Amino acid sequence: MGVTVLQQFPIVENRTGPLTIDLLTKRISALGATQQGQFLVDCETFTSIQQLGHQRTVHVLHNSEQPATVFSILETGTKTIPLATDGLFDLLMTKMNNFYTAKKQTKVESKGPRFEIGDFLVKLGSVTITQNFKGVLVEVEYKPCVVPAMCWELMREFLQGFLGSSVPNTPPAYLQNRMQEIYTPIDTIHQYLEQFTMYRKSPGMRT
Amino acid sequence: MAVIGSATDTLNTALKSNIVPDQEYLLQGSVLDQYVEVLLHRLRGLCDNVDSGPESFHDHELCFTLRATSGPGSAMVLPLRVRRALDVPEAPWQLRYVGQHELGDKNRPTVVRSSIDMACSSTIVEFLTELGCRMDFEYISRGYMFRKGRMKITVSKVFKMGGLTNKPGESVEPISQSYLVELSVLAPSGQDAIAEDMRVFAEQLKPLVHLEKIDYKRLAHLQ
Repeated sequence: MGVTVLQQFPIVENRTGPLTIDLLTKRISALGATQQGQFLVDCETFTSIQQLGHQRTVHVLHNSEQPATVFSILETGTKTIPLATDGLFDLLMTKMNNFYTAKKQTKVESKGPRFEIGDFLVKLGSVTITQNFKGVLVEVEYKPCVVPAMCWELMREFLQGFLGSSVPNTPPAYLQNRMQEIYTPIDTIHQYLEQFTMYRKSPGMRT
Repeated sequence: MAVIGSATDTLNTALKSNIVPDQEYLLQGSVLDQYVEVLLHRLRGLCDNVDSGPESFHDHELCFTLRATSGPGSAMVLPLRVRRALDVPEAPWQLRYVGQHELGDKNRPTVVRSSIDMACSSTIVEFLTELGCRMDFEYISRGYMFRKGRMKITVSKVFKMGGLTNKPGESVEPISQSYLVELSVLAPSGQDAIAEDMRVFAEQLKPLVHLEKIDYKRLAHLQ
């Protein structure tokens, strides 16, 4: 597990989601990457019932890279509390459905092919909200390093190398505040949640 | 190439094939402090971990409930427990939901209650508190764990909490002059044969300890 950067890839006009993924697949394959299976990150959001007082939100996420773990992020309005548990947390959420109910039509997932190229892991994800295509998210992990500040420049160069100028020169906002800290899987989850939240807010496709 | 299924699909498949251990079969009893050594000796002889000896534990358990009223006179309550090992601080914490226990009729040898048990990160206490849970009580449990096949036997002393609890053994007071003895198995539902094995094992511990189906309702008036 190393540092991961999650990046939105713009969809240009007249190019569909699958075509965009094809294009990126060709580019990364030309660099010498080999496909190693598929990946899936999904997120379901639950909100507290009125009787529990001020509204709180629980986001429950899964990442196929950590298949035995369920990640949850609780947002209270003033605090954000992460939690990592075993798979049975999903079963516990069903027990909690009298207190926290699933928001309708908000199940988001990013899924697609997973590539390995040297020390990098590249995942090309099609983002869908309840089966509707919303955009493309590219995840790049640099496996040998766990401190963002020490590998951001290298990752930026790699990202810009195959995604082009859509990659900004500055790290994603979430990482900027944690450049010197040790990177862990929950940080990837936070980045996905931030992106998913933006997809949920934008009505059509995010270009 | 195989398409990845979602975690929810995997869980649903596991539930359908009935491989999720979500039922706890339980018998409880107690033994006075002065006789606990005799019981431990007996357990050492009967249980699997003969060579390594019993495994000791020193846990802190916090019991939470999530409550809300869903209408006049009808309250919804969800109990949740958090456990952490005081003697192994780097071990994951434990989160557990324990449902209503069913005594069943006389022919059923053990109490059965639904149980969802999982490891979790140490942010769990803050997570539950902010979720709206209230901590009802907490205690420290120290003792030994034995195994016999799928059965787990614990012999433990329960202590009241006093002051800060980060250091093991500090300012705690035992709640009684006896040890709690529990015999339990976590299994998928419908595996009632295990209850019979437990009854047989409990017989072998008599008269040192009487492991029984404890009816908590009967104890309510003692509080």
